[in-house]
Amino acid sequence: MADAPAETDDELLLRMRSGDEQAFVALYRRRQAAIYRFALHMSGSAAAAEDIIQEVFLALIRDDCGYDPERGTLSGYLFGIARKLALRQLARRRTDVALETGAGEPVPPELAAGADQLADLTRKEGVAALRRAVQALPERYREVVALCDLEEVDYAEAAFVLGCPVGTVRSRLHRARSLLLEKMRKERGAGPSGALKPVRCEI
Amino acid sequence: MTCQEFWDAMPELEGQPGADAAAHLAACAVCGKVMGNQRALAAGMRAAAADWRRTKAPNRVEAKLLAAFRGQAGLAAPPPARRWWTTALAWTAAALVVAGAFLLFATRGRQTQAPANVPVAAELAAIDWSARLPAELAAQGAGEGFITLPNADRLPPNEDLNVVRVEVPRSAMIALGYSVTADRAAERVRADVVMGSDGLARAVRFLDE
Ligand SMILES: [Zn+2]
Repeated sequence: MADAPAETDDELLLRMRSGDEQAFVALYRRRQAAIYRFALHMSGSAAAAEDIIQEVFLALIRDDCGYDPERGTLSGYLFGIARKLALRQLARRRTDVALETGAGEPVPPELAAGADQLADLTRKEGVAALRRAVQALPERYREVVALCDLEEVDYAEAAFVLGCPVGTVRSRLHRARSLLLEKMRKERGAGPSGALKPVRCEI
Repeated sequence: MTCQEFWDAMPELEGQPGADAAAHLAACAVCGKVMGNQRALAAGMRAAAADWRRTKAPNRVEAKLLAAFRGQAGLAAPPPARRWWTTALAWTAAALVVAGAFLLFATRGRQTQAPANVPVAAELAAIDWSARLPAELAAQGAGEGFITLPNADRLPPNEDLNVVRVEVPRSAMIALGYSVTADRAAERVRADVVMGSDGLARAVRFLDE
């Protein structure tokens, strides 16, 4: 016999609004992990992420998250609140440096000349290096990578969370990946990339 | 197909290239290399996402939120038995009957010190909420001005307390000795409530008087 279909977020929210504790717990358990991880990616701090996840769900409890099902999903709203809180925290301890190089326009394929093919990034040390590289991304690239690549949020929802068009999500993601590749190449000792001229291929 | 056209047609890392794109990829060493690296990155990101998948918020967050939820649900709506002010009112009324001394508790307003000859009330009122609340809350002055509720005596010594801001009808203030006129009884006032991890309110302070 097939299981009854799981309640939607909106159905749980409705029950939760009428004081149903189990509905709140179910909703929290369904959504907390992804939002907590997103907060962790954004803030780089477990303590900050814990504060953020708590604030996000307190906003839901107090019904002041401004959620409107006509405009987006509940998950999108929760990510959106987490993002605002994370950016606020980051603004307080701004350390944005490193890879910031330009706006989020589409990026032509560039390659540092002579750069080696990247080795396997799926091994433990590759994954760890990748996480560090994500952490070092400027905020607007980090958030899109955290949402789309690490939490597998679709582009439409990411656009809603970030308050930008889907095209911007795509182009930022593309840019973010280029920055990550650059960072990974540096980390693997392919030489200082400043010394490597970007080359645009012309076929 | 030019490199630009190739990348315009292939923005995603996952998809299979069409025939034109595949031909370009086979012919263009640079795009081939970039694509190879992009795919290595995509595989790495998938591995990172999978590795990361088990990470979730610490359990204490759920406990705190549950306490907050109970506070909000209990204060804002049903069920009547969970409303702290009705409990407090009943308790206060009973206390008034049992000993005149309890009158002091019911009318002392925001004062948190009770006379020493009222053992129960004194015991309750003696709780120093600044000392009991998490340091970061207490440091912001969050421990001040709380009125201890009757069930605070059931609080274990190392209870994980949380302060939750809620809105309650002004009539709830009556239970704690505030005078409230009938025309204002239905107004909403903000209150901070100290919650235990069991979701029960242990102390309250009103922000709008
Ligand atoms: Zn090419």
